[in-house]
Amino acid sequence: MSDIRLEVKKVSKTFGITRALQDVSFNIAKGEIHALIGENGSGKSTLTNSLAGIYHKDRGTFLLDGKEVDPANQVEANNEGISIIVQELGTLDGLTVAENIFLGHEEQFVKFGIKNTAAMNKKANELLKKYGFDKIKAPDMIDDYNFEDRKLVEIVKATYFSPKIVVIDETTTALSREGRDELYKQMKRIREEGNTVIFISHDLPEVLEMSDTITVLRDGVYIDTVKSSEIDEDGLKKLMVGRDVTGAYYRTDYGEEVSKEVVMKVSDVTVPGLISDVSFELHKGEILGFGGLSESGMHEIGKACFGASFDRTGSVTLSDGTHINDIPTAIAHSIAYTSKDRDNESLVMNQSIRDNICLPSLRELSNKAHMLSDKKLKSFAEEFAKKMSTKMQSVDQFVSNLSGGNKQKVVLARWIGKDSDILLLDSPTRGIDIKVKQDIYRLMDEMRKSGKSIIMISEELTELIGMCDRIIIMKDGRINGELLRSADIDENSLIANMV
Amino acid sequence: MPIQILKNFFKTGELKKQHVINLIRSSLPIIGLITVFIVFNALTHGNMWSSRKLILNQIYVVMIAATGVFFIMSMGGLDFSQGSIMGIASIVVCKLSGTNIWLAVAGGILAGAAIGAFNAYFYVGRKIKSFIVTICTMFLFRGVIKYMASNSPVAASMRVYDYDTTAIKLGITAAVLLISFIVFRFTSFGIHLKAIGAGEKAVKFAGVRTDRVKFLIYVLAGAITGLAAFVNIVKNGSATANVGNQLETQILIALVLGGMPISGGAKVKFENVIVGSLLYIVLTNGLIMMGLTTQMMQLIQGIVFLIFVALFADRENLSVIK
Repeated sequence: MSDIRLEVKKVSKTFGITRALQDVSFNIAKGEIHALIGENGSGKSTLTNSLAGIYHKDRGTFLLDGKEVDPANQVEANNEGISIIVQELGTLDGLTVAENIFLGHEEQFVKFGIKNTAAMNKKANELLKKYGFDKIKAPDMIDDYNFEDRKLVEIVKATYFSPKIVVIDETTTALSREGRDELYKQMKRIREEGNTVIFISHDLPEVLEMSDTITVLRDGVYIDTVKSSEIDEDGLKKLMVGRDVTGAYYRTDYGEEVSKEVVMKVSDVTVPGLISDVSFELHKGEILGFGGLSESGMHEIGKACFGASFDRTGSVTLSDGTHINDIPTAIAHSIAYTSKDRDNESLVMNQSIRDNICLPSLRELSNKAHMLSDKKLKSFAEEFAKKMSTKMQSVDQFVSNLSGGNKQKVVLARWIGKDSDILLLDSPTRGIDIKVKQDIYRLMDEMRKSGKSIIMISEELTELIGMCDRIIIMKDGRINGELLRSADIDENSLIANMV
Repeated sequence: MPIQILKNFFKTGELKKQHVINLIRSSLPIIGLITVFIVFNALTHGNMWSSRKLILNQIYVVMIAATGVFFIMSMGGLDFSQGSIMGIASIVVCKLSGTNIWLAVAGGILAGAAIGAFNAYFYVGRKIKSFIVTICTMFLFRGVIKYMASNSPVAASMRVYDYDTTAIKLGITAAVLLISFIVFRFTSFGIHLKAIGAGEKAVKFAGVRTDRVKFLIYVLAGAITGLAAFVNIVKNGSATANVGNQLETQILIALVLGGMPISGGAKVKFENVIVGSLLYIVLTNGLIMMGLTTQMMQLIQGIVFLIFVALFADRENLSVIK
């Protein structure tokens, strides 16, 4: 018997015109934690989802212990000995904890067509106890538990039957410290039993600490497989990006004087249930950061300044005295907004890149008779999509087929095309890989230097510290501290104001 | 797009499955139109071609009214009250035709626009789904029509027959189509409509006053159908209690036959209106000439409709009929 558990042979998969995987081949051994890394859109999840029966590969084979597997769905994959913990919530509302654990495998509790609920609950409780998750009770509705506990239930669901391969897809980012430790413990246990974990994570230190072997994908192509003990973080980054990641990531200047000129004044803004009595001023050429916990109300600041909040009181005033109370007025006065909810609020998904970029600029693009020409729209869209180096076949392509980073580039291209002076960027680098992040930071720095003002709302403290002239910390919907740009700020001084 | 795919096919021999499906989908309406036309001509031994004037006469009303609904469906809405709008507007045209013919035209358009505004108020202002609102107004105004025209049909002045010429009817239809085409294809209004159909929230965040667009489009569609009511009265001379009955279904079938995705959005094309209306009229007339009973016709129409909806439904975007 060889010690190869899974052979991936020339697996390919396309979505529309996007090639998510191209002839990917590599081996995964028994009894190891095998990490799968790569930038956004590199095909990690596509590969594991194909293995677990969520997607169907176009070509190629998976050989599990030398036998071909091609599961049509997750239950079939389970029966073959493959299970997966997905990135999003993988439990179903409206079912009990026990029903979720045994979803698709209820037949073991069914006699004469009737489900023996008591037996199912008993078995589930035994499992939960074995895992040390005593606080979760099998007969309870899953809805009663929070995100973290539900993830623990998923761990039980995916591992109780000792599958040969367990895929863990970016689960750790959703978990607290204790939850992570619990997951790590289970991963090690699976390895000790001689089974295999495929571990997907963006967190490189975590990958290096937990895994035995690391496989790198880039743009759907297999790059390399390395031993964790023989590589460091920089080496991994280089493999992921395809070149040395050098040069300044964030801004490098300190102590630059910010203009005294106020471009936007926010007074006593309240949005019921979200923010209360928020007042601040935004200066010309300034990057003003907003940080805090996700529920601190900071994400509403962008919407409130854009005139998009429901039921807002207080005032948002520009230097010329204009009050911003609705979106069209905001845009007409050169304000741009990129939402955290990119797919719903920033982009029209089933629409071309062209129309997405041109949408706010149609008035400027039409001639005296209010007519638009296709040629003009196309060249406008191409100009700014290229300026942002958006990866695409043509501007006629739908945005729904683009990766997260490229979608964000389309959003930014739209506002650069509009030449907005005030940019409200909510989580501009969320879910975006290193290379694109760097592009966005550079763009922000250029804009700042050319006198544009930026509000940057972010959950990533390091990027706030790296990019902002001033950081306002939000807590429970109110402003809870303000820090000026300095090389001495560290994350802890921000966190102190956040909680 | 289809031409591009064909070019690639001849050049490289490469024709992917998805592309084949898209190619078939996009050319099905026009191929269907030609096939149906040839088949019925063969089956009726050329009768269809010789009675083309009669058939053409039935196209105007459906095609004009379908243009308005085309706009509504582009942005993901529906309108089931078209038949009732047609009915009310026809009665108004009849009543005013004795005074002045221009007044009658204006009256018909205004009546249609007013009902459109009534729909839009409940749809946009009170945020009720468009198909619920328009089903309600369909019954409401059908009731009004029955009340006004049940005892005796409302007759128009004899003068309207002066306008019953192909030139006028065709002229009005062509004008509506041309203006609508330009508006749809070359103005920001047209782009806004399609974008709302594809994703309303993001369009709002791009600074478009979506509520205003949605309101306007219902008023506009009502007004266009009001104009179609004039053509209808010119043709028929009076409004009975059944005037405009089932127009909404005819329009819906015509548009779907033309390849219109039922939830609107980016894949909408203006030729959907023209090809669809023609296909619908040729199909129904062909069936009549074949001597089919009304019941059989409805059955066949239902089957054809179902097949086309199944083919053209944009499944990625299906949950958003507004």
